[in-house]
This record gives sequence, C-alpha cells and structure tokens, in this order.
Amino acid sequence: MIKAYLGVDVGSVSTNLVIMDENGQLLASSYLRTNGRPIQTVQEGIQALGRELAQEVNIMGCGTTGSARYLTSMIIGADVVKNEITAHAIAASHEIENVHTIIEIGGQDSKIIILRGGVVTDFAMNTVCAAGTGSFLDQQASRLCIPIEEFGGYAAKARNPVRIAGRCAVFAESDMIHKQQLGHNLEDIVAGLCEALVRNYMNNVGKGKEILAPVVFQGGVAANLGLVQAFNKYLGFEVLVPRHHGVMGAIGAAYLARDAVGKKGQTSFKGFDLEKIDFRTTSFECKGCSNACEVVQFFENKNLIARWGDRCGKWELQVG
Amino acid sequence: MYRVGIPRSLAYFFYLPLWKTFITELGHEVIESPPTSRAILDRGVKEAVNDACIPIKLYHGHAAYLAERCDLLFCPRLVSVRKHGDFGSETFCPKFLGLPDMVRLALNPLPPLIDVRIDLKQPRTGLWDAACEVGQKLGHGQAEIKRALRLAQAAQQSFRNLCQRGVLVPDALEAVLNGKKVSPKATPGHDLTIAVVGYPYVIYDPYINAGLFKILQEEGVNIVTQDMLTDQILNWQARELPKTLFWYFSNRAVYGGLHFMKKGRVDGMIHVTAFACGPDSMVDRLLEIEVRRRSSMPYLAIAVDEHTGEAGVRTRVEAFLDMLRYQRKGK
Repeated sequence: MIKAYLGVDVGSVSTNLVIMDENGQLLASSYLRTNGRPIQTVQEGIQALGRELAQEVNIMGCGTTGSARYLTSMIIGADVVKNEITAHAIAASHEIENVHTIIEIGGQDSKIIILRGGVVTDFAMNTVCAAGTGSFLDQQASRLCIPIEEFGGYAAKARNPVRIAGRCAVFAESDMIHKQQLGHNLEDIVAGLCEALVRNYMNNVGKGKEILAPVVFQGGVAANLGLVQAFNKYLGFEVLVPRHHGVMGAIGAAYLARDAVGKKGQTSFKGFDLEKIDFRTTSFECKGCSNACEVVQFFENKNLIARWGDRCGKWELQVG
Repeated sequence: MYRVGIPRSLAYFFYLPLWKTFITELGHEVIESPPTSRAILDRGVKEAVNDACIPIKLYHGHAAYLAERCDLLFCPRLVSVRKHGDFGSETFCPKFLGLPDMVRLALNPLPPLIDVRIDLKQPRTGLWDAACEVGQKLGHGQAEIKRALRLAQAAQQSFRNLCQRGVLVPDALEAVLNGKKVSPKATPGHDLTIAVVGYPYVIYDPYINAGLFKILQEEGVNIVTQDMLTDQILNWQARELPKTLFWYFSNRAVYGGLHFMKKGRVDGMIHVTAFACGPDSMVDRLLEIEVRRRSSMPYLAIAVDEHTGEAGVRTRVEAFLDMLRYQRKGK
C-alpha cells in the first residue's frame, strides 16, 4: 500500500480530484463537470478513484477547496478546508520553483496571485464581472459551433487578429457579431477574442500588480492555446502551463492535507465507499427576522450533521 | 413629546451619541431603525433612485421603515464639519448634501423632516445654530437647548474617547448610549492585527459588508479602524499628500490608511468599498498606490454591493489571512 493524499476542488463548473503520493507524485486525477450537482459529482468522482486505486493506496489525509469546499468537506470527511487562492499558490510553488506570478482562470472566476520567495504577497480576484472566464468562452465557442477543445487551434491560425472590446462579455459578444458581419474570418475573430480577454484580465484583475516571470498559467482555461498565446504576446515572455494545470487547486488541497495530517495525526477520511452513504440537503427560510436567511441542512443517512446559511448563527450546527 | 426617527445608516455610525442625547434630553423619544436586514435593503433599493450608491439606497430603506413609526424624521443636511479655514473646500460627499431632498422625493408617506443644515465652516453658523434650529422645531427655548447640547456634546466626546482608546464603534455606541461594559483590550490569543478602513456606514454595518468583523474576529484577528485615531493624527496625514480629496469621510479613510502604513503596528490593511460609490473610485486607487509606494504592507480591497454574499468575502479574507500567516512563518 502506498501512502497517499486526496485533494478535491469543487468549483462552479468543474470538480477536480487528485490522489498524490507522499512526494507529490500524482497517482490519479479526474476532471469532472459539476453540472450543478456537487454532492453527486463528488460521490461519483471518489468512487471512480476508489475503483481505480483503492487496492493500492492508503489515504492518509484529504483536503477540499473551491466554492463548495465546506459542503465537500462534510461529504468526504476532510482534514483541511482551504480557500482556492491558498490552494493554487501551494500547488504552483511545489510544481514550479520560485514562481513569481500565478494566473488562474476557471469557470466563473479568475485570479492573480503574486509570490515572492515562495510566499504569497498579493492577490486579486475578479469581482462582479466574470467576462473572460471559462463559461464565457464555452458560450462563444458553442455560438460559433467550434468545439471548445479546438478553440485554441483556430486562434493559432489567425493572421491578423481583430480588435474586440473585452470590457464586458455582453459588449464583447456584440462586437464579435459586428466583426463577423463585416466579413472577418473566424480565425481572426477567435484570436481577437482571446486577446481581448487577456487585456480585460490584465486591466481588471491584474491592475497595478507587478507581473514578474516565471508566470504560471493554470485553471481549466489554460488548456486553451489561444489564450496562452495571447498572454505571451501581451507580457512579452512565455507563460508556463503546468502539466496538470486543470487540477492545480486539488493538488494544492492534497499538499495542505499532507501538512494538516502531519499536525493532527490521523485522517477523518470517510473512505471510498461513499455510495453506501446517502447525503442529502434540505433548506428552509428562517422566519426569525426580516433577513429571511435560507438555511441549509445537511443529512448523512438521515442524521442531521450540519446546518449553515444563517447570518445570526441561531441555526449553525456542526456535528463532529 | 415627539417621536423622532433616526435611520441607522450614514452619519448614524459617527454622530448618533450627539443627536440622540440632544433629542432625548429635550424630552423626546428617539426611535432608531433596526440593524440592516434584507427587508430594509430591498425596500431601499425599491424606493431610491436607481443610480444611487448602496449606502444611499440603504438609507432610504431605513428612512422608509421609520416613516410609518415616527412624527419627525431626523435627516440633516451635512455640509461640512471642518472649522472655517481648515481644509479648503472639504465637504461631505454630494449625496449627503442632497440627502433630505432625495428622501423627500423618494418616500411617500413621509413625516416632516428635521433637515437642519450643518456647516461648521461658515464662521457665523455652527453647532449652536444647528442645535437651536432643531430645538426650536421641537418647541424649546434657548436655556433648554443649551443644557441639552452640553450633555449631547459630552456624550459625543465620551464616545470619541472610547473609540480612541481602541473600542470599535459599534461597541462604543452601545457603551455610551446603553451602558454596556466594554474593554479596549485586544482579545487574548488573537495573533494578527488588521486595519480596516472605509466609510463608517460600510465597515460598521454588518449586513452590507457580509459580516466582515465577525469573520475577522472568528479568524483570530484584532481590528483597528481609522476611527480609533484622533482628529489630530488624521489631519497630520494631509501633509503627506500633494492634494487632499474633497470629501470628509473619504479623507478620514485615506488619512487613516496613511497612518497605519507609516506606523506599521498592523499586519495588513483592508479597504471596504461600496459598489457605485463615486468618491471610492479615487479612495481605493489612492490607497492602493500609496500602500505600494510607502510600505510592503499587504493590502486587500473588498467591494460590497447588494448581492454580496458571505462566501465571497470569506474566501478573500481567508486567503488574505493565510498570506499574512505564511509570510510570518517564512520570516
């Protein structure tokens, strides 16, 4: 049996799981669509990993990150629950020595993390605007009937990228339509869109940040060659895309789990056989005051194990 | 006896002890709106003009709540609280200047407003004139007004003193007005100190900032704000800038930020900014530039709007604190 650590990153669009050995070698990883069902996706993902590796590995610790990190921690029995900024930073600094800048673009958010001497010194996340993240690219690709996997290929073939307003996803779309009706070819429009998104990212999330090489580009969108090229062009040097760029958050969570268990001594991982456990959530609107908070109740086999979502703390509950 | 409503927003978080004491001492009942809730916010968004900032919308919500419950609504026109000759043309944000008019146009039914103009910059007017206007509206003579104003100023002073000894504004308000016991001591076991700067009505309203103070305290952080500094310390900072801003609360946030950058007794700084706030488009940028220029202090800007959930704020704050703690470990 190999001693291993499990990291789970449940975001708005994708759910990523990795199993890593003690030295940070990836034993298995999976990139699944969350499809709006985080509980089910995590359960299925864990079981699939179990079928693959349960005989060979001994899970010594597990960690969760991403926007559903608290929910997920309750499903798998996580040893550590961390925000995605810290998780991404940890993963990148293990992967690439002396990384100075991390560009991370996911399904619905994008962030920049600045590190100096292996320590995060500054970061920013997109605020109200999600223009230029994975879901917008997805949407544009399907509007143009290009499979998202080939999007980058189109951009690479562009000879003369058109200029598209990237400030806002809505304007970007109308600008794209305008350019296509003028007769520009698809390759130039796709490449123009990639450049617009990079400009928007740099002016919005990257505003005022000192971007020094080495720059790591990670997150699901890093698979898009068009964006990689647009970043290279904008920055004037090459960004590095790590091999496991899509699951870096989960890798970070696994590293954090390794550290956490080192201190804690024992894992609270529930095991791979999650199909035997019935996880369910119900919610209700609290009538206690005019805030009308939506309280979520989390059940494991009919036992209420946690409750959250209230502002005042009246309903807050966590068993174990 | 009148029931006078004071909305729990905007200047409430800075001048409540003065006006509440003044009105109470004249023998009237002060009714405060409850802490911001979703119902109040929704009401404000509905009543206020569409392009107003969140704090102004919120004020409308609080005023609307009180409109049905009081005889008079206290809604002063705050112009300036700087003495004549000080700080050039500094005033409150233009929205404060037009507040009574906005409320009057937006809300119906609405009780009569006490829309006293407060401009301490005019040499002949001042707090006494303002107090007289309010007092006379409530049917009192000069002797009573004088007495109530003296007590009111004392209450305001003890509130400011408590803040300057390190008590957070919400606790200091409770202490001065309701006799709650407070201690300015840092909580034992808290290992970080963070300066939170921003408008009082954004940083002390736990609904609109998604419980920022609670999150910080749960995470083991001591909080300091610009309101714990004396006016003198704040005003000194004006010399650090080639030009100051035009708006009172904006300048306080910037001066507070500058002080914390220099004195360095804090581990990091958070600026909380309200979505659609005009002045903040300058304040936030100015703080960001100055913090980079003058120090290596970690800085986080949090923008809040009516849809801000706790999750977004918590993620940023957690990451910020992780960063501070990892940095400390690395040293």
